[in-house]
Amino acid sequence: MKLYEDLIAAIRALLPDTPDKACGFDPALCAEPGDKNAILFRGDMAYELGGSGKQSVNCTLFGAVPDAKDEVALYGKDLCELTQDTAFSHLTIVQLKDEDEETLRYETLKDIAFCQFRLYPKGYHIRISPSAGKEQVRVAKAALQQSPPLSLLNVGCSLIALLKAQPDVAAVKTVFITDPSVDHTALTALARKAKQITEAVQHTFEMNSLDCASCKMKPICDEVDGLRALHFKKEEERKKHDT
Amino acid sequence: MQTTIFAFCGKGGVGKTSLSAAFIRLLSEQYPQKRILAVDADPAVGLSTALGIEPPMTLDDIRLRIAQSIDKGETADAVALLSEAKFHLLDCITERGNLSFLAIGRPEAAGCYCKVNAYLKQVLEMIAGNYDFVVIDGEAGIEQINRRVMETVDCLVLVSDPSQKGIRVISTIRDVASRLAAAKHCGVIFNRTRDGFDPDGIEGLPPVLAVIGDDPEQAAHDMQGESVFSLSASSPLYGGAKKALDALLREINDEAV
Repeated sequence: MKLYEDLIAAIRALLPDTPDKACGFDPALCAEPGDKNAILFRGDMAYELGGSGKQSVNCTLFGAVPDAKDEVALYGKDLCELTQDTAFSHLTIVQLKDEDEETLRYETLKDIAFCQFRLYPKGYHIRISPSAGKEQVRVAKAALQQSPPLSLLNVGCSLIALLKAQPDVAAVKTVFITDPSVDHTALTALARKAKQITEAVQHTFEMNSLDCASCKMKPICDEVDGLRALHFKKEEERKKHDT
Repeated sequence: MQTTIFAFCGKGGVGKTSLSAAFIRLLSEQYPQKRILAVDADPAVGLSTALGIEPPMTLDDIRLRIAQSIDKGETADAVALLSEAKFHLLDCITERGNLSFLAIGRPEAAGCYCKVNAYLKQVLEMIAGNYDFVVIDGEAGIEQINRRVMETVDCLVLVSDPSQKGIRVISTIRDVASRLAAAKHCGVIFNRTRDGFDPDGIEGLPPVLAVIGDDPEQAAHDMQGESVFSLSASSPLYGGAKKALDALLREINDEAV
């Protein structure tokens, strides 16, 4: 999808050229699933990614994945190398099978973006605030003491498995960043923009006002090529359908 | 994990909060390896003081935050809202050793507590399985029973003073609870009784678990806002709570056998 392309390029520019760890999707690498309502208590926790007021970012974008190859990438230390709360970003790029924005359904984007809420690796308690674009993770001492210890590559494979079960997903790249030298503040701003684009796409599908001057989405439509055109196109289709 | 949920109900001012706190102390002393969740479900917000725990956030804070985000036109997808609620829920749970504490808070909107009560019910269903014991200090009266907040409760502990009004309230709660099949076990604790009080003469009550007289030590603790954890083991409240807890646990164990 072209809508998120500039953002994806901006994110790439913030990251080092090569990740510290990476792997292709392998179902055998998926983390052991846990209970969806399990609480990881502080006493059982080694540390919290994005905890103690450190920055944390969660973002799903839709666009081209390099070579359409499913991949997990990690910039920074893996779970067993970390010893304390650290800044944390988790970004996922999803490539759709049909990349034509004009045939896009908002429900499709939503179903894909919500997959992450069904990710419950054992010993890895994820909590995501969609409104703040934050993801914090309590990591269990036991998950680090097991052999082999839980890795972010395992978690990434589990997420890809969930996403690939969606009929419209062609490829997924999920990126974890624990490297404190990466600009998590800039990533936060980019994640906010991605959320605005997704909200504007939602607006395109749900609202029929064409009065841009009174629309709260105007700033993001001014900024992102194609959003306004998509909205007008959808509205035209709706009118045709109604008549 | 097998979870046992106790809920304290009764008229206002009969000592539900002190007895809930005493149960929580007893459970954490008797079962140091077990996980206990203390829930302050009373908008009067007394259990936190009785336990000496100050929660940074309450369930009503989460509910309000989410309601405000909907009012502002932000995302209203149910799945996203649930994730948002789960995100903040961990910030509401204060952990101290094997004890966790969660408070319903004091809704700012006047009058109706149904929304936060409905939310409490959902939260309890979601997280209770993480604990061996859950102790709920319920609000005065019958509302939380009526609204099925207490639907998953195993042991309903009805607390009354010797007054006719107090006894009438627990009788009504018991009737509604049995109609809604709200608890497997039910018992009464009479608190702040005077010499000569005899519960045997009162008809139609569930089994009496304990009769507790005036407790000057506990009253002084209350006045000074001290936690139940510093109450001496010889205090009548502590002794009465222990007797009631032992009786209920015996009943549960007998049933399991």
